[in-house]
Amino acid sequence: MITRLRPLLLAVLAAIVLGACTPSGSPNTSPASLAPAFPLTLTDAAGRSVTIPSDPLRIVSLAPSNTEIVCALDACDRLVGVTDFDDYPAEVADIPKVVIAAQVDLEKVVAAEPDLVLAAGNELTPSSVIDDLAELGLPVLVLYPSTLEEVYQEIHLVGAAIGARDAAETVVADMLERADAVARAVAGAPAPRVFYEVGVFAGTIYTAGEDSFLASLVAAAGGEPITGDPLSTSISLEQLIAADPQLILLGDAAYDPSITPAAVALRPGWHVMSAVRDGSIRIMLDDPVITRPGPRIVAGLEALARAIHPDLFDPI
Amino acid sequence: MRAESVVTPVAAARPLVLGPSLTRTGVVLGFGAVLGVAAMAAAVTAGSVGIDLGDTAGILGRRLLGLPLPVTWPASSETIIVDLRLPRVLTAMLVGGGLAIAGTVFQGLLRNPLADPYIIGTAAGASLGATLGIVAPLIVPALAVGAGTAWLGIGVVQLLAFVGGLGTVLLVYAIARGGGRVPVVTLLLTGYAVSAVLAAGVALLMFFSGRVLGAIFGWLMGSLAGASWSQLAFAAPLVGIGFVLLLVRWRRLNVLLLGDAQAAHLGVDVEREKLILTALASLTTSAAVAISGTIGFVGLVVPHVLRLATGPDHRLLLPASALYGASLLTLADLGARLAGGIPVGIVTALLGAPFFLWLLRRSRSVRAGLS
Amino acid sequence: MSVAVESFGAPAEAATPLISVAGLSAGYALPGGGRREVLRGVDLELAPGELVALLGTNGSGKTTLLHCLAGTLAPSGGSVMFAGRRLPEWRREELARRVAVLPQQVDLPGGFRVAELVAMGRSPHAQRLFGSTAADERAIERALRDADASELSDRWVEELSGGERQRLLVAMALAQEPDLLLLDEPTLHLDLAHQVALLTAIRRLRDQRGMAVLAVLHDLNLAAAFAPRAAILDGGRVAADGPPGKILTPELVRRVFGVPVDEAWTSLGRRHLALRDAWPGDAAPRAGGLD
Repeated sequence: MITRLRPLLLAVLAAIVLGACTPSGSPNTSPASLAPAFPLTLTDAAGRSVTIPSDPLRIVSLAPSNTEIVCALDACDRLVGVTDFDDYPAEVADIPKVVIAAQVDLEKVVAAEPDLVLAAGNELTPSSVIDDLAELGLPVLVLYPSTLEEVYQEIHLVGAAIGARDAAETVVADMLERADAVARAVAGAPAPRVFYEVGVFAGTIYTAGEDSFLASLVAAAGGEPITGDPLSTSISLEQLIAADPQLILLGDAAYDPSITPAAVALRPGWHVMSAVRDGSIRIMLDDPVITRPGPRIVAGLEALARAIHPDLFDPI
Repeated sequence: MRAESVVTPVAAARPLVLGPSLTRTGVVLGFGAVLGVAAMAAAVTAGSVGIDLGDTAGILGRRLLGLPLPVTWPASSETIIVDLRLPRVLTAMLVGGGLAIAGTVFQGLLRNPLADPYIIGTAAGASLGATLGIVAPLIVPALAVGAGTAWLGIGVVQLLAFVGGLGTVLLVYAIARGGGRVPVVTLLLTGYAVSAVLAAGVALLMFFSGRVLGAIFGWLMGSLAGASWSQLAFAAPLVGIGFVLLLVRWRRLNVLLLGDAQAAHLGVDVEREKLILTALASLTTSAAVAISGTIGFVGLVVPHVLRLATGPDHRLLLPASALYGASLLTLADLGARLAGGIPVGIVTALLGAPFFLWLLRRSRSVRAGLS
Repeated sequence: MSVAVESFGAPAEAATPLISVAGLSAGYALPGGGRREVLRGVDLELAPGELVALLGTNGSGKTTLLHCLAGTLAPSGGSVMFAGRRLPEWRREELARRVAVLPQQVDLPGGFRVAELVAMGRSPHAQRLFGSTAADERAIERALRDADASELSDRWVEELSGGERQRLLVAMALAQEPDLLLLDEPTLHLDLAHQVALLTAIRRLRDQRGMAVLAVLHDLNLAAAFAPRAAILDGGRVAADGPPGKILTPELVRRVFGVPVDEAWTSLGRRHLALRDAWPGDAAPRAGGLD
């Protein structure tokens, strides 16, 4: 798999060097070594063309994953605003919060005097807020990776945006290496049918949606993901029983201690599933890492691979 | 037998009281003006970011009055005051005043003290329009928020909300019209029925809306978070014109309180007047709703409560409603901002409903009500 | 025996009639479909300043005729002309400056004082955008005086008794300073003294202002004393039209109203119509007036 990724990245860079426009959804960077780094025009994950006038020294992040990327690029000290949901790394606890209970406080963002704002796509940061920030003259970069490859691309994008391309190269290279190791380890092993439980609320079962990032991670970890409706990410009990998972991973157990394999086995109707009969139900305490598309996503991939193919990995 | 006249010439002529007294008018409007100024001042100086009062005064002096003051404040403070708070406060005044006037007119027109500006379909129509605008980019990506209508100062969502609100009222009016007349009860019932259908449409769209569900919900609750100078430029002339044109019709609004028949005897072309009043009040409401979503209770409670203080004479009630509605919403929005950026519609509902209940319980006399 | 028929006021001038009704038919749509024609071909003329009492049984179309004359009910046939022009050609406000209506029942909105409601009667004449002119105020004061409602002027509407409300309504109509005053049973709710006072005031106003008056009344004797001319409606048509002394014969009364009456004369020579039959339980028929 890795041999296919490198040519893709090179092709992207080549296209940029040739000055071609990229289709919306794929970020690009301008030539790295031929011109001064700033001012810089980038295309973000939402297809918006963003101009960054100078190396950003005051960065506001509107999503935990964006915060993690900035810190992974060793620019944690340049963060002047984060969300109240950010929890990694530990230093961010002292940074002023500009997003509280998922509400972006425009006044606080402006008061932080940022020269770069990293927003989240897919309406996680409402598009009206993005427009408001842009209207105030702030450069806003929208990030929304929906595949592993896009995570790498967006780390490169942020690296270019904050003048930390080399750090980005290093981070991505490390991630690629670890991902490759997982791919090599699970190559050839039979892929069990895996059901990843995101949550059960009011009787509705939520899991990885079809073609979702989580589904692609499970696949990369050597499993065959059972997926739900792409829009609502829900799956009916009937559909789940028909899909007959061989392995159940409890992502919600990371937040609710009452969700245990024993409790799941007692759920009405679940006993017919192979996973329940075989006792193949595991608690996924790494769920926060698995579901946050940031620099630690490969650690999530590793956790998934260990849960799906425990025999293929050395015990930690 | 000739009856003796029982009429004796009255020696001392009683003073002719032709409207709310000068004192009452002065007190009501004066206090309203003071409240308005205080509300605006409070809302501009307070917010989630603390800005020095002196800086605020300096910023306002420099930007609004053009005074050549030295810049001793950070640029971010100026941005916050001038680009975030000022348009938001002015929008709150405009929307609050507009909704209150419209509520006053509908309460008089429909002779129903429980009427609000949305009663004949404006809210349902605007909600459907806005929901379509929010959901459209999911189907046709080119229709993203703000696309194509930059020249109007408002986005696709606001434009569709405005058109939806106004269009629905015209539809309701057309349906309710029978034999050239529009009886008040028919208008109310038709409004209710059409609103129900449109609300079902909104619910259906919400079900399929996926990731934009939050945006739709926020709009329906009513919020001033997206306030901007350009949106203000769109809505202010419409609400202003509506207000002025309604204010000059105060006599006809009063006469309509006597009932359609007697109003006709007094020279009012009742059907034409109802149409004009409905159109103007709906124009005001739709313009307000387009830029702020469906904020409730202001249009119902303000005229209802004010009538207790001013009496039903529209000459005083209309301007007073505008003034107090504006102040009320400005203060509610300040509360909403300080409570963590919740939509102001939630604040008006949380405060308005219990207050209204308390009022209903307290007020027994129909002294200043509508019979 | 000579009958002293009192004549009141100046005889009608032979000028353009103020009101000219020809072949008027009008009615109402029924809720279940279909129509009920109340007026079936009414011919009537009123000269400026003429005072006419409109009499008839319940349902004979008196109120319907009034509404047609006021322009608020469209006729289904025939025509109504006011001051030489067909009613539909008049603008509503223009007509309201010339014609005032005192209906049987009006919903009076609470929260207003009497004078304010009378001021609403002035609205067809309103010149100033936000206030009233001195002429308006004079007209309102006059209207209150003439309606015997001056001492009510600053009272709240909700506090008025039935009779006081009636006087308020009269004042509202007078505030319009009309050329034609249409009254629909104005003496309802009034005690005898106030009835007489009101009608006396109306007559005086007619004299002073040259106002034409068409009043729907139910008391035949009062109508005969009050108006120099009466029109009797029966079955949607004018059964009789002329001086009451002449047309209100016992035969007509019996035919139209179905009640046998006798003529009686007071010591001053005024004619009354008195009930003929004894009241059940009474010993003998009584001589005496219907008052």
